[in-house]
Amino acid sequence: MPIQLTSQAYCKMVLHAAKYSHCAVNGLLVAEKTKEKKKDSHGEPILCVDCVPLFHGTLALAPMLEVALTLIDTWCKENNYVIAGYYQANERSQDSRPNQVAEKVAARISENFSEAAIVMVDNSRLTMSCFEPIVHIYDHHENKWKGREVTFDCFEDWSEAQKITSALLEGRSYENLIDFDNHLDDLRNDWTNPVINKSVLDLC
Amino acid sequence: MASISEMYDVGWEEMRDKLRKWREDNCRNSEQIVDVGEELISEHSSKLGDDVWIIYEQVMIAALDCSRDDLALTCLQELRKQFPDSHRVKRLSGMRLEALERYDEANKHYDSILQDDPTNTSARKRKISILKAQGKTAEAIRELNEYLEQFVGDQEAWHELSELYINEHDYGKAAFCLEELMMSNPHNHLYCEQYAEVKYTQGGLENLELSRKYFAQALRLNNRNMRALFGLYMSASHIAASPKVSAKVKKDNMKYAGWAATQINRAYKLAGRGTKESKCSMKAVEEMLESMQITMS
Repeated sequence: MPIQLTSQAYCKMVLHAAKYSHCAVNGLLVAEKTKEKKKDSHGEPILCVDCVPLFHGTLALAPMLEVALTLIDTWCKENNYVIAGYYQANERSQDSRPNQVAEKVAARISENFSEAAIVMVDNSRLTMSCFEPIVHIYDHHENKWKGREVTFDCFEDWSEAQKITSALLEGRSYENLIDFDNHLDDLRNDWTNPVINKSVLDLC
Repeated sequence: MASISEMYDVGWEEMRDKLRKWREDNCRNSEQIVDVGEELISEHSSKLGDDVWIIYEQVMIAALDCSRDDLALTCLQELRKQFPDSHRVKRLSGMRLEALERYDEANKHYDSILQDDPTNTSARKRKISILKAQGKTAEAIRELNEYLEQFVGDQEAWHELSELYINEHDYGKAAFCLEELMMSNPHNHLYCEQYAEVKYTQGGLENLELSRKYFAQALRLNNRNMRALFGLYMSASHIAASPKVSAKVKKDNMKYAGWAATQINRAYKLAGRGTKESKCSMKAVEEMLESMQITMS
């Protein structure tokens, strides 16, 4: 039921926040589509294998968000993924609570995936070394989004995630991170970020 | 670590020209400005002539963005020495205090500038930025409105206000700000396109039709604006799918959406030429457009 992040998903999220440190950023988390849920899989974590960085700056406008959601949904179907969550880093460093945009997008995702989660990046703790996880995870319970305690269990392999994220931040890999906004500016920019994915794999 | 000039094989003139380009385009690539600017001023400041002062200012602001208070202070001190009574330099001092989150002191700086010169727009705008940084959005909006009553032609301020309204989900007022910007910049495709996005977000049939018109206008002004193209497709599709429209309106909008879909496919084909990876997103676009056609009819 609770989501878990791979190194690739976590690190691309943090790189996105680092690239646009003066703006709000958001994106989607994707998980592998599993077959029919077994009765006893209740409690098994859902592994978010990747994330797609969406926008930076003004997040509260609908049209491009709709385009992105539809396009990424189609891409997910081709790759046997499902959109499983939403991440956001707010503009102000002291503000890491989910706002109306986060709740609306997450609600939309929940229509297709009942255990969708919101991951908020805590800007105030974003450092090069990232010794501790800097995310807050929110699950939907009884019509409200409730924060969950973030432990190392929320990651597939925290020490790997920490190592890779720190290495890519120091190497300024975020300069090459492509989000959906960059894609709309120039269609040749690939929002699946194959280059960064390769860097992550090389460091694993 | 190798210097910029070694890594990119550039001379000081090219570095200076790059800084000028970034200044003119108002880019916020602060890390690059710090890298290039720091080297330029530490090794070539004597060659820069009078340009050196504006470069100090540019590098100082970029340094604040990158938490390089050491570099910011160096630049500030040079500027203070050269222009001891300048309000422009005092504003930079205030910005440094803002970066250090010493907002009360920064406000005092700006207030003293305004006492000397009540028409100083930069100081007023910095005070509004402080309100924004502190999360006091309602106050920031109020102050910015008052500012704009006096300085009606300040485009940067109108745009900032539109963004503040969008973040507060007050789309009607955001639209009003963008209307002001469109009136004074009728050829700017970006304002048109943003206005269309706001109208779309507001929702309702009338706003959707307006949004479609403004997406089309943005395309007329710049036929490579992908957001406008996608926006035209989405708004026309939604209008065609609405149960409240007449058969003629439905038919017309399906035509517009069909045209937009063709253009989108063409744009992706052009972009995808030669790269295997983007074939996947091209396929995704084709499928998305097809699936929306189904829901429309």
